[in-house]
Order: sequence, then structure tokens, then C-alpha cells
Amino acid sequence: MDTDDAADEDGTEPTDGSREDVPVTGDELLETFPRYRDEEDVSVLEIPGREASTVPNDEVLRPELAGPLEYDLYAHQAEALAALEHDENICVATSTSSGKTRIYALQIARNVLEARARGERSTAYVLYPTKALSRDQERELNDFFDVLGLDISVRVYDGDTDPGETRRQIREGADVIISNFAGVNTYLHDHDRWARFLSTCDLVVVDESHTYTGVHGMHVAWVIRRLKRVLEYYGADPQFALTSATIGNPGEHSSALIAESVTVVDEDGSPTGPRELVLWNPPARARADGSDGDSATAGGSEDEADNAVVERVPASVEAPKLLSHLCYHDAQTLLFTPSRKLAELSVKRASTHRRDRSRYYANPDRGSEIEPYHAGHSRTKRHGTEHRLKTGALDGVASTNALELGINVGEMDTTVQLGYPGQRQSFWQQIGRAGRGTRRALSVLVAGHRTLDQYVANNPDYLLETDVEDAVVDVDNDAVFARHLLCAADELALKGADAGAFAERERLERAVEMWCRAGRLAGHLETGISYVGPPRPQGSISLYATSGEEYAVELADGVDERHDPEMEPLAEERVLRDFHEGAVRLHEGRQYEVCAVDHDSPRPTVTLRPTDADCYTRTRTDVTVLDAVSEESREIGDFTLHFGRGQVLVYHGTYDRVDVDNGDPKEQGLPTENPPLSIETQLCWLEVPDALERALVERYREFSLEDEDGDGDEDGIAETAHLGYAGGLHAAEHATIGVAPLELMVDKRDLGGLATLSIDSHLERERGENGTTGKGGTSGEAPRNVAAAEATVRQIADGLEHEPKSGWFIYDGIDGGLGFSRAIYENFEAVAERARELIADCDCGRVDGCPACVMDDQCGNDNQPLHREAAVDVLDRLLGNESGEALEADAAESESGSDRRPPLFYS
Amino acid sequence: MTNRDGARLLALPPSAVLGRPTETLADVDTTLEPDAVWLLGPEREARAFARTRQMFDAPAFHPPLETDGEVVSRQPIGTELEIAVVRSLRALRASPADVSSALSDSRSTPIAVVCDDVTTTTRPTALETGLEGAAELAAALPPGRVTTVLTSGVPAGYDELWHLAAETGAIRAVEHEPQLECEPAGDDCVSVRVRGAGPVEGYGGSASLSVLELDETGVTAVDTYERSDFGLEAVAGIGPKTAERLADAEVTTRAELLETPIDKLAGYPGVGRDSAHRMHRHATVLEAGEPRRLTDESLPAESGRPPLCLDIETDGLSPTILWQIGVYDPADDSYRAFVERDDPDDPAPVLEALCDWLFASHPDRALLTWNGWRFDYRHLGAFVARHVPYYVEEWESVPKFDLYDWAVREGHALLPGRTNKLEDVAGALGYEGAETGLDGAQTAAAYQRFLRTGEEFDWGRHEAYCEDDCRALWHVYERLRDAPRATDSSDTSPAEAEGATPSGTTGGEQTGLGDF
Repeated sequence: MDTDDAADEDGTEPTDGSREDVPVTGDELLETFPRYRDEEDVSVLEIPGREASTVPNDEVLRPELAGPLEYDLYAHQAEALAALEHDENICVATSTSSGKTRIYALQIARNVLEARARGERSTAYVLYPTKALSRDQERELNDFFDVLGLDISVRVYDGDTDPGETRRQIREGADVIISNFAGVNTYLHDHDRWARFLSTCDLVVVDESHTYTGVHGMHVAWVIRRLKRVLEYYGADPQFALTSATIGNPGEHSSALIAESVTVVDEDGSPTGPRELVLWNPPARARADGSDGDSATAGGSEDEADNAVVERVPASVEAPKLLSHLCYHDAQTLLFTPSRKLAELSVKRASTHRRDRSRYYANPDRGSEIEPYHAGHSRTKRHGTEHRLKTGALDGVASTNALELGINVGEMDTTVQLGYPGQRQSFWQQIGRAGRGTRRALSVLVAGHRTLDQYVANNPDYLLETDVEDAVVDVDNDAVFARHLLCAADELALKGADAGAFAERERLERAVEMWCRAGRLAGHLETGISYVGPPRPQGSISLYATSGEEYAVELADGVDERHDPEMEPLAEERVLRDFHEGAVRLHEGRQYEVCAVDHDSPRPTVTLRPTDADCYTRTRTDVTVLDAVSEESREIGDFTLHFGRGQVLVYHGTYDRVDVDNGDPKEQGLPTENPPLSIETQLCWLEVPDALERALVERYREFSLEDEDGDGDEDGIAETAHLGYAGGLHAAEHATIGVAPLELMVDKRDLGGLATLSIDSHLERERGENGTTGKGGTSGEAPRNVAAAEATVRQIADGLEHEPKSGWFIYDGIDGGLGFSRAIYENFEAVAERARELIADCDCGRVDGCPACVMDDQCGNDNQPLHREAAVDVLDRLLGNESGEALEADAAESESGSDRRPPLFYS
Repeated sequence: MTNRDGARLLALPPSAVLGRPTETLADVDTTLEPDAVWLLGPEREARAFARTRQMFDAPAFHPPLETDGEVVSRQPIGTELEIAVVRSLRALRASPADVSSALSDSRSTPIAVVCDDVTTTTRPTALETGLEGAAELAAALPPGRVTTVLTSGVPAGYDELWHLAAETGAIRAVEHEPQLECEPAGDDCVSVRVRGAGPVEGYGGSASLSVLELDETGVTAVDTYERSDFGLEAVAGIGPKTAERLADAEVTTRAELLETPIDKLAGYPGVGRDSAHRMHRHATVLEAGEPRRLTDESLPAESGRPPLCLDIETDGLSPTILWQIGVYDPADDSYRAFVERDDPDDPAPVLEALCDWLFASHPDRALLTWNGWRFDYRHLGAFVARHVPYYVEEWESVPKFDLYDWAVREGHALLPGRTNKLEDVAGALGYEGAETGLDGAQTAAAYQRFLRTGEEFDWGRHEAYCEDDCRALWHVYERLRDAPRATDSSDTSPAEAEGATPSGTTGGEQTGLGDF
């Protein structure tokens, strides 16, 4: 199917009317796309459609509600409404556009009608993840209640709502209040003003609940617990209705969020047409072709390392061409881009593509109404774009994920994704935008360079597996719990009754004791505990960080306000890694340079100014783990896997400036002026069995590192026989972290790892051993910097009386932990399986791998040593694959045993 | 101010000394009348110390500079009392015996030890709060009794009793209400009552000056002030920048400000004519101790029967019961208290009694509070709705006024007094209180203990405290009523009153039970 041929470039006008369903099919796309090259690079998958399953309205709804509805309810809507009728909480996890809003809208209508019949009121608190969605849904709900002929007042109440009288009117008069969790957190302080609304609240809606994971998810879980306390105080006991994209564990995730049991409704009764899914790996880049060496490729992602061994045309260049092409062929197309800048650029590139191929695209104006869409545009402009999409006035839109969540723009013919969005959940949510009713739909995924993209491109079946990632939300982080406890005490006195309901008694008592000793709480659980610290503890909660140490992001003096990045405050951990002085960061597609960081003032800040640099920055990180304590462990074959807590010392000491175009370092080892960071966090670690270690050391003992930078052999390790094996552990560590997002809704940036030949020297020591106690006691004996910590680790290693275990740690990079490494602990085999596939299937052909497999641009050891084969051997054995078994046999005899193992560790 | 019997120790952060005109420090000195000045450590600030010694009549000390060749020095506070000052934890670690011997001196035992390095360390990830310096204190302080340690390492108002194992400094237990009960925990235990003198974070900034009232038993009361409560900055509309500009023009005191003609003042950058007027008026108020009304607005409930002055006592800032509601009726000079003495688990009877009395005997009267919209009315409304719901409508229809809100937030009047606490304002207006020695936090803690233990409770003292607040409120009201209205004084135009809310008022907003 080689179309790289001038004759084909003429193309033909698409023939209208010959198809019923979709303007362009997958095969037609391949046939018509100019200069399409290699069959290997593209797969077309067929996803069958689904018939609608409906239930007559009058079986579910009272006549005054059933009557005005034009269409019957889908089966899942009916099921959800039935569950609500039985006083259950529900989580509806069905596809995009399956009518989830209608479920809670009808429940609100039922509640209001029933209450009014009794001469009472019924209110609902409806919470969305973004303000944009709130406004959109305010209209949708109002329209729907109009259709029903009901006088139900729906109002948005958030940071944009005028203060004063308007707010009072809403609190006192609205039947439905729409807000977000940052708002709820704040408004709980003045709950007495909300008494009318809260005391009649019968339903709390948590829309797009799958977005609440990680740090944000645990804050939301605690805000909900606080809200429930206050609701109970006012005698309200509302039901919860959560709506979610398809995730792996909707029931578990919802229960974790609201601390109650939840009935899951996930049998989707809405119809969909069949869908073709085209996985499009861009062609290899013609090296000489400067036009494809695109200067914006690093804009594709903050984390992208642009020096893949197989250099393909970047997705950021290829995807806009597809957008242009599809629009030309009458397919209304939505392109998803990872940043605002790329949304804007893609529109320009789409039109450039037309001009460059003017012989093919004979009628340049055809299908050329293409607009960008992102949260940086004014509300009016966005509404205009939404409307023109809905009415068909636009042929295409290039949008950030702002259009991924439920804003109503109608249905497209086609979606194109510029890069894999990182998660299947998000992937499905986005492609769900294509497909008009039961008509055939087309979705194209243009793969980027990154690990996950290339994994997906090479393993198309991954997308079709029925599993979707589990959403991880965790309430075990004591730092986050403790901050919300202060707020809870400020809202209503903490009492004995909170034990169990808000937190288990022992945890509650410990936290209360901690804060009483610190002078922040006063009183007794028996009689009531009040908050006595600085006013409004709610204000110090950042929904995106675990500790109070958060940094406000400000623009440098004299910079025009319109450049304001409007960033959420940053957690200290992020500031130290990504926002040190001199860092160049992309935010929503705009480039900023950090010109100052103030760590010491009571209100720490990061100051940015917009920049247009031809480089980005990459931080070098030293990491070590200390005092890890195993809380749980399990065997996987003859490996042992642990979960526990420990101290992680992280030092982002230097950074490199990297060329945007070719990924080459321009300047290296610049100091960040950062202090080191010490976090107490959750971690999991894998211990490799001794016999396997011996076998692999033997097998790869010839491996050595080139001393590239000629700085001598600092660590004295280059010669050791263990280097190949250590490279295997290091590669396996990178890969397991790299693929974790394939199984779990975790953010790789919140994970870190450490491969080590001496796990034991990172564990908490027994009292007395080496004459010291494990934890530093009160006087802070714990090492304060990474060099000292590493020295400690080596010293412990030297003092060990037994041969230590080797393996690797994976830790949550956020103080107190996030539950990510716990989820990895629980799903380790699945993650390891993916890691193995990734490493083994990569076609880079290099022992030390490439950025698409085992290299990691955050690596503190400059991606050395890395050994793909050794990593595959370890993972094979872990997974019980046969090739692993054979290893030890050939190593058994040659066992040297005399090599003293060096205490090497690599992050 | 209150309690003239004991001695007064002024705790002063170096930042409040440097960069402030000498006249401001003189104002601190004359207003607070300290018997000794503690320039806070632990950082060594020799320049600030020199300035402090120069500016204050009372003896001053700065722990990092207390050398004398000794680890610990003794510092007289007033004529009767003495405290021990420790240079640093490090010094203490080096020679703990010096402190032991200083403290066991039988001729005169210091009432407290000052050590600025002592602080709490909170590790939320481990749900632990420890005491920095625990081991050193355990080694140096006598076991089997309670020693008070004063430190700027924790905020003023901090008061916790740490029982430490004498051998190791390990934490045995921490008592959270030493003001109610302060006993040692055995002979193998060093008991340290840690009391704060550091800055307190509030709504508008941080209160960084504190005055510790001392007697032979230790610290009896702690009052906090903001830097801007003194000197020119005490005048509404003068912030640090304006104060600097005025200082350049050699206007450094309120008296000098009043001597500077309006025209001249208005000529300085950033001061317009209106604010010059405002500054003059407020400076006059502060200097004369007379309130001043800024508008023609009548006082709340000024016509007809006077309002009922109301104050509530709770069991904490997040109350579970409003156990005392005091109402002073200026019409016949009678006071009435509704108090729950019998069944503290039931908040309803007190509320019901109040409502019965109010709606039956005084159906047409308005209520008056100090800062009630943020506290008294807020909780009364919520509690009435919850516990006596049949009275909600009547309760909501009662006219309610907040004198603090009217005067300060709405800007109808200027008040003397360095803070907007009722006690300060009433005191500045010549009210002589009952000197119960209580504050809201103490009375709340005491009632909580009664709730928990059923132990004897000093009803008389706590009722006197509530009554005192109600009467103080009426005193302020009367003084405001008698003050001339805006139109009666020549230099005011109504427009100027707009936005007249003084900038320094934030300190009066509630930052803790201690404030009301």
C-alpha cells in the first residue's frame, strides 16, 4: 500500500453520498492520505457498535416526569434511578454522552416534587471539577428542567460568583447549587450561613469523579468527609451520585471518596455505532528535511525527551496534517492536543499542510473552518466555538483536554489524538467524542515518541483489553488527614462521635494529641475540641499538595497580567524539582522561565516570566532511601515484595539546559541552589533471590561503561563485575515506573525509584546494631543531605554481617505518600508484565535502551548503567517465564562467590 | 492596663526594634510600662539590643548576648521577681549543672527559665509533635516539680505542660490545660510548662509584641499587640510607608502629627487631603482617649429604649454548648444571666430560658453585642435553629446590632485603645472592670473541665466575667452616644467618612478566645 508516488498525490475529490455512515473510513484514510509510507506503521482496529437498550419512562418515573420526556430512558439510566429510589449511593461509569447528567437531574426533580408535596424543600449540591464545566452544566440543567416544566432554580456558586447579596440569595434561594471542591473546602468555614441549603440537602453529585486521584483525590475525599459531618449536624443525610468515565474500579474508587458503599452502574445502555480505530505511527523523519525538524516538538509534553533512537516525525507535526486531511474529506474532526500552544499551532499547521500539498487539495477552502479551543480563551469565545461545533459551522477544532470532560459540543465524525493521552480511561473518553448516534465513527491516534505512545503503537491490543486503569485514591496520608482535621475542628467541635465516622479512633486521638501539643487544637474529645490556631485553616489547604508548604506562583514585576499562567499553587516537591531558579517550564503550552524562588518567607513564592527560549531544562536528581520499614510483604515466586514507609532524601542539585530541537544538552550541571528535600513516604520494594542475582552477575560480568566524560571513575564502580546486573535492576526500575500508568491512574511524576545492590542498608536498623538507633530520635540524627545519607548507606553496607538483598524501590514522591506505591505493590505482576513487554519489544537495539524503553530523563545517574537484557531476565524470572529458569543452571558451576558486592544504587 | 500588682515582661522581636523610629519605641514603653524587656532570640541581634537598652527605662536582656561567662544569668523583673535566662540550648547541653544550681538557689528561686531555642516540632506524616530541647531541659531542670520555660519559639498564648523522663528527656505525657491543673508527674519526671512569647498569626498580620504578666506563681496573663498598634502607625491610614515619609519630614509622634497643618500633611506623597483629615482625627482620639463619630449615622437603637447588651460564654471556639448568656439592661441597670449548671449535655434549656424571657418580657427590645456577627449571633442563630426550632422566627425578627461592626467595620466612629478588643477599648474609655483575671479561653476550658469531671466550678467568678463584658459594652455605647456627631465638628465633611475603616483594625478581629 505504498502511496508514496506522485501520481497518487493528485488524489481525487471525495465522492459524496456513496457511504451512509462516515465521510471517511479507516481504509479510505490510508488510501487518500498523501505520501503515506509504511504499512508497518499503521494498524486499523475495528470496534463493534452497541444497540440501545431502553426502558419505558413510565416504568421508572412518575407521570409528570415521564410525560414531557421525548425519548425512553437507557437501561443504565433506569437502573441508576432505581438504585437511587432504594436509597443507595450510585456511581455511573458509562461512556461519554451516555446521558449521565440526566440521571441526577431526574433524581433532583423527583426529590423536589416529593418535598414540595409535603410542603418542604429539597436541595442538591452538584460538584464539578472545573468552573468551565459548572457554567456549561448550569445551562444544561436549567434547559432540562424547562423541558420538564419544573421551576427548579440552578445556580453556580464559586470563586467567580459576585460576593455579598448575590451569594446570600443563592445560599438562601437556590434548589441546586453548583460548585467545585475548592469552593466546598472554603465555604464549610461559614456553614451556618448555608444552614438552609445544607439542612434540606438530599443529593450530593460528584461529577467526573474519576478525575479525583492522587493528591487531589485524597484532598477531595477529606473535603467530602468534612462536608458529611456538617450535613449530619444539620440533620441531612443525602445520597451521593457519582459519575465517572470508565475506570477499572469504579466501586472501590467511589467508596474511597465518599466513605460509604456505592452501587455501580456500568452496563451502558446507550447505543454506539461501530468504530474504526487507526493507530498511526508517524513515518521516519527524513534527516535532511529541515522542515520536519520542528521547533515546537518539546512542547508536546513537559517530560518529553526528544532524542528517540528511531526518529520519527513528531506527532505534533503529523497530527495536524490528519486534521486537515479529514476536514477536507467532510469529516468534522476534533483534534486533542496536550497543550494550549499546540492547539493553536495545530490549526496553523493544518492550513500549512493544505498549501504545501496544493496539488492534492485542489479546493483549499473546502473544510477549512478550523479553530483552536482551550481554557486560555475567554468564556465568550469558547461558547462561540462550542456552538459552531454543535451546529456544524466548524469543520474541525484543535482542543486541549478542556473538551475531554463533559462540555456539550455535540458529536463529531472523527477524533484525532496528538499523542497517547496517557491513560486508557482518558483515551476512551476522548474518542467517545466521535460517533453520531449509531453511525460509524473514526478515531485516529497519532503516536508520539514517548514510552507509553510507543508501547501502545506496538501493542495495539492493549487498547482493546477490557481492563481500564484503576483510579487510585488513598486516605492513609497522615499529613493530609491532619490538615483536614484542623478544618473539621474549626467547622464543628470534634467529638468522640467522630471516631469511626471521620477517622478511626486511634488515628484521631494521635492527630488530636499532635495538634494540642502544637497549640493548634484545644479541648477534649469527650466534650469537644476546637481549633485555636491562626484564622481560617481552610485557606491553608492546597488541594494539590500534601503539606502546608505550598508556593504561590507569581508573575515577575512589570510583566503584563495577560501572561499570568494562572497556575495552582505548587507543592514544595514540585518546586524543588521543576521550578528552581533558571528552570524553563511549559505550562498549558506557554513557556516560562523561573526568575526567583523564595523558600523562606511565610508565604513562599515562585516568580515566573514568559520566555521564548530554544531550550528547556532538565533537573538532575540524587536520591536515597533510608530507614524503610516493611509493613506488609508477599512472595512472588522466590522474590519478596514489600510495602512500607521510609524516608526519602531527594536532592535536585543541578540541571541541564537542553536544546528543544534535537534534545542535545546545551549547558550541563548548572546549580539549582536548592535545599535538599526529605520526605517521609510510602514505598514498595522488590528483593531479587540470591541465586538469580549470582547467575545474572555471572552472565553480564563483562559489561562495562564507557567513561565518556573523562571525569575518571568517581565511584570506583566501572570495573565491578556487578555492573551489568546493577544495570538490569536500574533498567527494570525505570521501566516499572514508566509503565505503571498503563495499569493504574498514577502520575509518573509523583513516583520515584532507586535500584540497589544493598536493599538492607536502606532499611531501618534494629536498635543497637552499629551502635545507633534507627530513627533519629528527637535530636535529628538523620542525615540532612544526600551526600551524608549516601555515606551512611555505604557505611551500613560495610557493617552488615550478612550478604544484603538486591532489588529496587519505588516510592511516592510526595510527603506522606499518595497510595501509588501501594497500588503498585498490589498490582506488581501486571506492572512487571507491561515492563517486560516494553523492554523486550523495543526496537532500539541498544543494550542500554532508549528513551522509549528504559531511559528516563529524570534519572539521577544520567541513565547509567542500564542493561535491557539483564532487566528482561529479572522480570522473566519474576513472572515465572521459562527463560528465567534456565539461567541459574549455567551459572551454578561458575559461581565465584568471592566478589564483595559493592553498595551501588541508582535512581 | 490590667493587673498592676505583678510585674510586666515585654517580649519584643528584634524586627520590631530595628526599622522603627525611636519615638515609636518610646510609645511602646509608655503605653505598656514594662518592668523588663526581653529582646527575643535565638538569633543574635546586637544592634537591636543596643537600641532596646537605649530606648527602654526598664532593664533589658537578650538571651544570645547574656554571656557573663555563665550559661545562665539571672534577670530581675520588677522588684520582687527573678527569672533565669539561658543563652541557648547548646550552652545548656554543655553545662546542665549550671542551670540546676541556679534554679536550686534557696535564697531566691527564679519563677521561670527563658530559652528561645525551645520549640515544638510537628511531623504530620508521623502524627507526632515533639519538643526541641527536651533532652537538654530534662538534664538541667529539677525533677519532681514544674518549671516554667518561656520561649519565643512558640506563639504567645501557647501553654502546655510537658512531662519528660528525667533520664532521657523522652516525652511521658503532655497536659493541655495547665492553667486549670499544673502538677508534677513524679520524682523521675521533669515537668516543663512551656509558655510562648513568639509572634501570633492573625487575620491581618501577625501580633508580634507580647506582654507577660508575672507573679511568684509564674505567668498569669499574656496580652499581644501588633507593631502597628504604636507610634504613628497606630493612627488609621498610616502604614509603614507613610510613616517613613512622615519621619523624613520629621513627623514621628502623634503630637507632632497634630501640630502639622492639614495642608502640609496633604502635600506629602500618598497622603491626600481626606486622609490627612482622617489622620488628624484619629490621632486626636488616641491622644485624648475620647471616641469620635465620623458620620451623622445614629447609633444602633439610639432612639427609644436602649438595647439589651448581650454576651455569651461557650465551651470553645467551635461550641457544643452556649452555657452562659448574660444580658445587661441599661433601662433599669439590671443584669440577668442564663446559665446551664445542671445538665451540660443539653444546650436547649439555656436557650429556651433566654427566649422565654426575651420574647415575654422584652418583645420590642434590640440586642447589642461586641463583634457579635462573627461570634455571638452566629452561634446563637445556629443553636436556636437546632435546639429550640419553635423560636426561630421570633429570634430572627429580633433587631440585632454589633457595636464593633458599626464603629470599626462600617467606619462610623474612631475609638481609642490600641487594639479593638472590648477590654482595651472600654479600658481606654475609662471603664473599670471587675478584674476577674479570666479570658474567654480560660472560662471555656474551665467549663469543659466541669463538663468532663463534674468538679466544683466557681460560678460566681465566671458569671462576674460575663457580666463585666456586658457592662463594658454599655460603657462604650454611652461614650459613643455622648460623642459629638460628624456635623457638630468643623473639620469633617461627610464624604470623608467613606471608607474610613482604619487599617489597623484587623488586629481586633477574633483570633482566639483571648480576644473577646
